Amino acid sequence: MKNVRLAIDVGGTFTDVLLFDEVSGETLVTKTPSTPSQPEQGIMNGITKANIHSENIKVFSHGTTVGTNALIERKLPKTALITTKGFRDIPEIRRGTKQDLWDAYNDVTDPYIKRRDRFEVSERIDYAGRVLKEVNESEVKELARVLKKRKVEAIAIGFMNAYVNGKNEQKVKKILQQELPDVYICASSEILPEIFEHERLSTTIINAVLGPTVGNYISNLESRMKEIGYDKDILVLHSGGGVMTSKTVPHYASRLASSGIAAGAIASKYIAELCGFKNAIGLDMGGTSTDISLMYEGELRVTKDWYVEYGYPIGFPSIEVLTIGAGGGSISWIDEGGSLRNGPHSAGAEPGPACYDAGGTKPTNTDANLILGRLDSTLLDGQMILKKEKALQALQPICEQFGYTEYEAAHAILEVAHSNMCDALRLISVRRGYDPRDFVLVAFGGAGALHSAYLAKEMDIPHVIIPTHPGVGGALGCLLVDFRHDITKTYVTKIRDISVDDIEKEFLTMEKEAMKLLEKEGIEHENMHLIRHIEMRYAGQWRSLDITIGKPIFLDEAVNHFHKEHERAYAFSDPNVEVEIYGLSIEAVGVVRKPELKKEKPRGAIEDALKGYRNVFFKETGGFTETPIYRRTLIPVGVQIKGPAMIEQLDSTVVIPPEFIAKVDEYKNIIISIKK
Amino acid sequence: MIEEVKETKLDPVTFEVLKNGFINLVDQMSEQILRTCYSFVIYNRDFSCALCDANGDTVMQGTQDIAVHVGTLHLTAKAVIEDFKDDIHEGDVFLVNDPYHGGTHFNDVRVVRPVFYDGHLIAFMQANGHWSDIGGSVPGSFDVGAKDIFGEGMRIPPVRMWSRGEYLEDVANLLVSNMRVPKERLGDLRSQSEATKVAENELLRLVEKYGIDTVLTAFKESQNYVERLTRARLKELPNGTWETTDYIDMDPELGDGLIPIHVKMTIDDDHIYYDLNGTHPTISCFLNSTLGASLSGLYAGTKTFFPDTPLNSGFYRVITADLPEDSVVHAKYPAPVAGFCSGSYEKIMNACFELWSYVMPERALACSFNLEYLLIGGWDKRTKEENFFMWYDWMAGGHGGRSDRDGANTMSPVFGMGLSVQPCEGQERLTPVITTNHEIITDSGGPGKFRGGCGVQKGGTLTEVADTVMSVCCDRSRSVTWGIKGGLPSIPHGNWLNPDTENEQFLGSFFSNVKVKSGDSFTRPSAGGGGLGDPLERDPQRVLEDVIDEYVSIERARKDYGVVIIEIDKEIDLFRIDFEATKNERDYIRKHRKAWLEEDPIKVEKMLKNGEIDKLDVIRRYGVIMDYKTNRVLLKSTAQFRESMKKRSLIFWD
Repeated sequence: MKNVRLAIDVGGTFTDVLLFDEVSGETLVTKTPSTPSQPEQGIMNGITKANIHSENIKVFSHGTTVGTNALIERKLPKTALITTKGFRDIPEIRRGTKQDLWDAYNDVTDPYIKRRDRFEVSERIDYAGRVLKEVNESEVKELARVLKKRKVEAIAIGFMNAYVNGKNEQKVKKILQQELPDVYICASSEILPEIFEHERLSTTIINAVLGPTVGNYISNLESRMKEIGYDKDILVLHSGGGVMTSKTVPHYASRLASSGIAAGAIASKYIAELCGFKNAIGLDMGGTSTDISLMYEGELRVTKDWYVEYGYPIGFPSIEVLTIGAGGGSISWIDEGGSLRNGPHSAGAEPGPACYDAGGTKPTNTDANLILGRLDSTLLDGQMILKKEKALQALQPICEQFGYTEYEAAHAILEVAHSNMCDALRLISVRRGYDPRDFVLVAFGGAGALHSAYLAKEMDIPHVIIPTHPGVGGALGCLLVDFRHDITKTYVTKIRDISVDDIEKEFLTMEKEAMKLLEKEGIEHENMHLIRHIEMRYAGQWRSLDITIGKPIFLDEAVNHFHKEHERAYAFSDPNVEVEIYGLSIEAVGVVRKPELKKEKPRGAIEDALKGYRNVFFKETGGFTETPIYRRTLIPVGVQIKGPAMIEQLDSTVVIPPEFIAKVDEYKNIIISIKK
Repeated sequence: MIEEVKETKLDPVTFEVLKNGFINLVDQMSEQILRTCYSFVIYNRDFSCALCDANGDTVMQGTQDIAVHVGTLHLTAKAVIEDFKDDIHEGDVFLVNDPYHGGTHFNDVRVVRPVFYDGHLIAFMQANGHWSDIGGSVPGSFDVGAKDIFGEGMRIPPVRMWSRGEYLEDVANLLVSNMRVPKERLGDLRSQSEATKVAENELLRLVEKYGIDTVLTAFKESQNYVERLTRARLKELPNGTWETTDYIDMDPELGDGLIPIHVKMTIDDDHIYYDLNGTHPTISCFLNSTLGASLSGLYAGTKTFFPDTPLNSGFYRVITADLPEDSVVHAKYPAPVAGFCSGSYEKIMNACFELWSYVMPERALACSFNLEYLLIGGWDKRTKEENFFMWYDWMAGGHGGRSDRDGANTMSPVFGMGLSVQPCEGQERLTPVITTNHEIITDSGGPGKFRGGCGVQKGGTLTEVADTVMSVCCDRSRSVTWGIKGGLPSIPHGNWLNPDTENEQFLGSFFSNVKVKSGDSFTRPSAGGGGLGDPLERDPQRVLEDVIDEYVSIERARKDYGVVIIEIDKEIDLFRIDFEATKNERDYIRKHRKAWLEEDPIKVEKMLKNGEIDKLDVIRRYGVIMDYKTNRVLLKSTAQFRESMKKRSLIFWD
């Protein structure tokens, strides 16, 4: 491989490596254990394992959990908050809510900055941006002296109403930069100039605590890459579903939280579009959890309402990903009311499912799949042997409780697991006003392909795609993205009071800022795409909907679009009610050339891929059924396989149930559809 | 109505699927309301949704529902059934807010949609939301002066709002014409009604898929399941009887004297009995609650100790309650009840917390701060265009200390943990009120081995207003948030007008229609939680950490915890514990503290006046209750408070 795009996604357990040769169209996939204490080491190991020379790497893109982990483990630099006098407890008061309403012993986690590190200055700006109290320079200098003495490494500045006027914040920032030149400093008015003090400050604080952390990480990674001879840009994926270069990373550090999760969603979008679908639900199912995303009309759903830990929102637009505690290792149990439950507790990697024979005694989805013959007892090319007798043993309590045979019990376990996953799929589709029948399901992850056909059937989703390399969705996502920045602004005005010229002026200012950012990333003007968004709502409503708007601005069109979107999302609209604008934003995209996956010509015969037959339990055919087992790598493109059938590959098993039919497309994706 | 459900015992998978399906469809209603509502009170999550069966019994409530509506939604559905009997048709939608007939207080407006399948009534979908205004003499409809419910706004007994799909615009108009900002109210009505429609579709999908008999059986089995689950857990707990008394501050017409709410709980094998006999008769202001609302307090107080149990009528079957007629927990028609949530309701909940803390010590919870609603309504003069504004606000505060950790700081009130406090920046944009501070109050957490969570201070100034009034609905300026198992009280609630000026005035913790003008300022503290366990047993290291974070002052570290801390260099968090002095201080407090609770209250009043002691000493050391309008002791209230402080704190001290 000579012209390689290298994508590396560092996850909690594995570092996934994907190489794509731009000329030959070849791909190579490998995995290596992650090294959480020194994540860049895992990356170097991956590059070594992939056996690629640095001079052959043209582009290196990267997704990482460094930010997420630092937040969760509170491995953060000493950071101070500076806020308006009287408001230093904003990050602790938050909105006062908690995620678990009823459990008085299940608390919201502590704020990222302790009260002792939260400082105040006398200043005030009102809602209209008027300065009620100027910043006092000597007060700030005195504060700087104390912060220096405290050996502060990062500072977040967040003042009341700074979203309308950032003057006071900037003044304080300037003084502090002079006094404390080595300290990372960011201000809320430049990070996220949006209304609501907790949400804006929370984003700014997360940016400050992560700034030095991800900054150090990226510069370590850069020097390690230089050591092996790679000195081009490192492109880092952010939660908004785009990349930024390493030099921009410290500025928007908070966007790096959940970078890896966004990657999976992007891969789902790409694969679905490759197969000709505009609407897709992405399902990435691993051992302990499943990530679900949704693309509609070619756009991934984006949310500004997200967090790594409940109570501490990050206000940047982020690809909406729903994570639920359902995976291969999810434990099946009977509650005190006698109900059969599944998850959210997981046997994890250790001790793992009962059949791993590593001390786990509770039945998991993996055990059920093994008992039903859906999983072979030999996995990962023989590196792992599963013990069926252990799985059977673990199932006994469920058999006894309900008078089931072991097979019935295993089947019931999976049905409950499917129902839980379908509830999550409904949450992101039906609950948001999307009809699952218009979608395709893209299944990633080691466990996704075992269950996806059944989920599709339950949800009335007509087709399922199993990508060629379901185990490295994250790395694939990193490979495919454009540069992206988002500039947002609060702008509250009723439609009847709006001057189109004024909005145009606002948009132009924001676009200028966006272009500057893209220029800094080295994007040519012809590759810049600036998309205008308006947030709208019925006057008096509290939530708004995001509407894209063209250039020049036709407000009537946008308002009509809003009514339609309200109708789609909530099944009603009211054209007689006044509409207002709540916010403006620019989605700035720097388009980069995407890899073009190689199409294959049919080669060989399906018979050559047949590994043998196994008895697999399908309720639809009345129980155990002799089922052909295929090796995925040997299946020629273009063939059709009727269910029941199983397709095995290194890190994944595809179940094609009896009522389904599978096609292998020219990109080697498997598309499973229900038989008509 | 389908008379007989064919009893197909459901297989476990179908049951689990349908049970989760019910939870899902109720949560779907909530999500839609949150995204389309107009009342900011609803937007900040003062709402609940439910699926009820054809008898009106609740099959499932939402997972994010507010506590204060728990166990009241089936009463609403039953009220509709009782009033309309056979006159309920496909496409009908009903509205109810009558506290004496299926509701809690007027602001909680419930939209009830009957669901039909094949011509038969099979269920009711219900969406209940707190409308920001429901009429009456005070903006926001909390009028402490109202002597009966007729002064509290618009009473809506079960009323048909859509008839066989046809919107009855005249009826809607009649209702909202009696409320402030009627357009918004119509928006809420639409939002709630459409949400029940979405849930109806989802239920009908389940019926199509699984068959009507299966779904109706699953209704029953969902209730039976919750009952079975709860009873199984109760069986593992000891049998016995526990009792306690919590208090409302006063009846304004009676003056000095706390209003007792007596709660006796008996666990008998797998059933819970609550007996509230001994509770004070109905009082003259809006802190009373009706029977349904009080039952909700008992259910929600109990549910806190069974956090993962789904909520439906199966849970309510496990609880029997005796609530004496014509009392503050079972108000006599037409007594005012708008402020029940700040009054009887939270007292019942906290009493339950205390009782259960003895049954399940590992989940113990001392008293939490009181719900506080403040409303300023008037004319906004900031622009030429005159607008009527409502600055409607509620506080976060501290929760009670727990068996192995401190209480949570600055949380939503226990009456609804999902209720979110509002961003000041949003308020400043909408109203001519500027917030001057919103911060934790040092020393507000009730001292204890595990201290209560901290309360919050929020102050504001009116900028350009005209014809403006202020009202507050709270409590516990006298029945101060208490500790348990040796823990101490936190601080009194109560609002101040023009604090630290010569016009300073204490307004108390519930009042209405106080005139305010441009330039006036006000401040309100929310209490912290009560402490749990003897504060003299608190690890001095933890006290030190609290001092560094200024949750506790050096002075109160010594007075409340007997821990002597020396400041070395505050700029770098450098302090030192003087262990020798700490031992002496703790010995001194141990020796005197029981006698302090016997000190003549008049003498305590004098000591405060002379500056020998401060306000926190008055409550925490001497257990004395004062009227801060006059700075005089309240003898009767003090006697009552001391009695309970002895039971909750003193008997646990060595």
